[in-house]
Amino acid sequence: MSALLTETEDKPQTAWDDAASWYEASARQRVRSLLDAGSFKEFIGPEQREVSPHLRVFELPEQFDDGMIVGRGRLSGEPAFIAAQEGRFMGGAFGEVHGAKLTGLLRAARYVKSIPVLILFDTGGVRLQEANAGELAIAEIMRALIEARMAGVKVVGLIGGRAGCYGGGGLIAGCCSALAVSEQGRISVSGPEVIETNRGVEEFDSKDRALVWRTMGGKHRRLLGGADAFTSDTIQSFRDIALHLIRSAPGFGMDVLKAEQARLGERLERFSSCADALDIWKAEGVPDAEAVPAMPAEDFIAVANKVREPRYDAR
Amino acid sequence: MKEWARQKAARKARIEAGSRHARGKAVAVTDLQDFLEAVLQPGDRVCLEGDNQKQADILAAALADVDPAKIHDLHMVQSGVVLPEHLDIFEKGIARRLDYSYSGPQAARIARMLFGGQIELGAVHTYLELFARYFVDLTPNIALIAAVSADADGNLYTGPNTEDTPTIVEATSFKGGLVVAQVKEIVDKVPRVDIPGDQVHFVVAAGKPFYVEPLFTRDPAAITETQILTAMLAIKGLYAPYGIRRLNHGIGFNTAAIELLLPTYGEKLGLRGKVCTHWALNPHPTLIPAIEAGWVEQVHCFGSEVGMEDYIRARSDIFFTGPDGSLRSNRAFCQTAGLYSCDMFIGSTLQIDLQGHSSTVTASRIAGFGGAPNMGSDPRGRRHPSEPWLKAGAEANPDTPAHMRRGRKLVVQIGETFGDKNVPLFVERLEALTLAEKLKLDLAPIMVYGDDVTHIVTEEGIANLLLCRDRDEREQAIRGVAGYTDIGRGRDAKMVQQLRERGAIRRPEDLGIDPLDADRRLLAARSIKDLMLASGALYAPPPQFRNW
Repeated sequence: MSALLTETEDKPQTAWDDAASWYEASARQRVRSLLDAGSFKEFIGPEQREVSPHLRVFELPEQFDDGMIVGRGRLSGEPAFIAAQEGRFMGGAFGEVHGAKLTGLLRAARYVKSIPVLILFDTGGVRLQEANAGELAIAEIMRALIEARMAGVKVVGLIGGRAGCYGGGGLIAGCCSALAVSEQGRISVSGPEVIETNRGVEEFDSKDRALVWRTMGGKHRRLLGGADAFTSDTIQSFRDIALHLIRSAPGFGMDVLKAEQARLGERLERFSSCADALDIWKAEGVPDAEAVPAMPAEDFIAVANKVREPRYDAR
Repeated sequence: MKEWARQKAARKARIEAGSRHARGKAVAVTDLQDFLEAVLQPGDRVCLEGDNQKQADILAAALADVDPAKIHDLHMVQSGVVLPEHLDIFEKGIARRLDYSYSGPQAARIARMLFGGQIELGAVHTYLELFARYFVDLTPNIALIAAVSADADGNLYTGPNTEDTPTIVEATSFKGGLVVAQVKEIVDKVPRVDIPGDQVHFVVAAGKPFYVEPLFTRDPAAITETQILTAMLAIKGLYAPYGIRRLNHGIGFNTAAIELLLPTYGEKLGLRGKVCTHWALNPHPTLIPAIEAGWVEQVHCFGSEVGMEDYIRARSDIFFTGPDGSLRSNRAFCQTAGLYSCDMFIGSTLQIDLQGHSSTVTASRIAGFGGAPNMGSDPRGRRHPSEPWLKAGAEANPDTPAHMRRGRKLVVQIGETFGDKNVPLFVERLEALTLAEKLKLDLAPIMVYGDDVTHIVTEEGIANLLLCRDRDEREQAIRGVAGYTDIGRGRDAKMVQQLRERGAIRRPEDLGIDPLDADRRLLAARSIKDLMLASGALYAPPPQFRNW
């Protein structure tokens, strides 16, 4: 009997487990519930205690998995590689070991060629305490990701955790074959506080959280085309969208890159004069743009699909 | 010949001086500085309205701009020292003496200024004490207050944040003082009359609403599983056995967790209708799920809460509302209600010592008391019985004959053994004592005295101090729930075991609670958006709390 089933027997499932929240779940809960029950096999698990060599210098607590879980399992019967960041450890930030585990997973995927990779982002970016190692890790991951895609591997990013997907995480997400995001998920490079500190509160008020969400949040990313799919916050719907994107995400080659370049060029042309996400939504022809933030996920998906058909030729 | 109406004459003179800078009762914002210099006199006792929520911010800024050569040595008697201007007037020499109650955001600066001798401190009060003194020995000569709108006669509409205004106006206007109100706008007819115009002498149309701090909004997303465990202990170990129907909650995350567990965990225990039906409480957004699930019969409020206006309006069976539909809050009445009509106060604190004294003072911050000591004290003047009050009294004095035995209000401190930034909740010596020595105060600023505290709840269990018969037992009961703090590790294991056998300490397992069940999925709402959805989109959270 699988580990997961054993656990379920220990603790009877209650009604609210059916729609377990992705946002609320830990990285391990996400991995276990996303994959087929009992199929997850971890690489370099916590029992190997590959902890950060840097944090102890700052007398900061370490975590035995360094906030990154990598391994393989099955998704609807098909094999998949998986990586998940734990946003509750150091804000899911990339350090040396954390990054190396993802790099290794992507290199393995390139070698195997036929097995897709799921990256469950939940990160504020690079860990300040190991900045150089973290920045190097981001570069290595991006290279490994592109090389995997060149070898024919689909790499799908799932974003809906507390820390969002910021800094180097935003760059890595930009390299993926496809991205799915929930309302709570945020994708960007510079975070709200960083923008406010550098450019002033007039440019971006980080305390205006409605502004933060309509600029960096999942709904805007979907409407802008930065994310290929929008999903509600349940683990079940993340699983459904992951399966869909693995099937529909584009390969990698000159034509896909040219299509991506054209898509970004068009976006710049159409929206460069918009001062606020609301202006973009109006320009996109969203019927009641002001109502978008409060809209339930199902209604929003219908609106988004009407306004901007998901397309899978660019990336 | 003795004169008996000098105060009336003085007010007449002030009104005449002020009228030179006004049209009828209306003073323009641009004339405010000249106006205040005309109506104020050196040495005046001034109430500048402001508490932990609403602020007469325009009047505060204008007062800080008056010429200290003309206006100086003011004696400020006000609930809240909250805005920077409240302390600027002391730095500039406009004011000299201070009697106040609460200073949350200015806690560090007020401590520095007290050490530096820039403020002559009268006393730090609870809200009720300060209000009481407005009618005895701290009656203001001038009150600078805040409302939403006024008409030409000076009738004021305060909106949902009525709070301290009626009390201040009552004390000032009926004792020869002058009342000046800032409002957003002057209208033909106010939606309801909260303060009659004949008690108000001048009105300033500020053009914008007065500032209100959303102090009572706790984001469910930030509630930890340890806090959920403390909430489960409180519900199963206190609310249920004592049958607490009438109560007040503090503003911490532990009590927010209790509010959010009522419709889930509380429902499972079958407690709906048996506990938490009547409240003296601000309109906490985290109470929405319990209200919607039918737990709550009524709530009286000290003040309002930003974003709750439409929800309250649509739930007038629960809240106190005016003919205009919006909330009528009143701090003095609600503090009195919390003191005399509630059977339990439960709240968090920063430090608890070995006798159960607690304080939110640290050596560099003086946050004041606000209303917590009014809620968190046993009212010796209470005479009406209730089941929880009698039960607590019987636990404390089992040998006194029932007819001669006082009941006891339950005063509960709740928190994690290690609080924010892993600072221990339990200490040998309160920093409030260090502060009292440094400032040469007669009294250390104790928030809740140990002899008022009946229970302490941590993730380690519940200490029932009512069942402790002497100082040693009290100390060991507290050490017994202090976990791995230095205080906890200094326990006498044998004595703690005996206290546990007597029920003076109850661990989670003694109550049939598995700590592993303390899961965020138990929360009836796990985000601010969940609260908005639970309210049927009536709750409109302020921008800094949104996550969508």
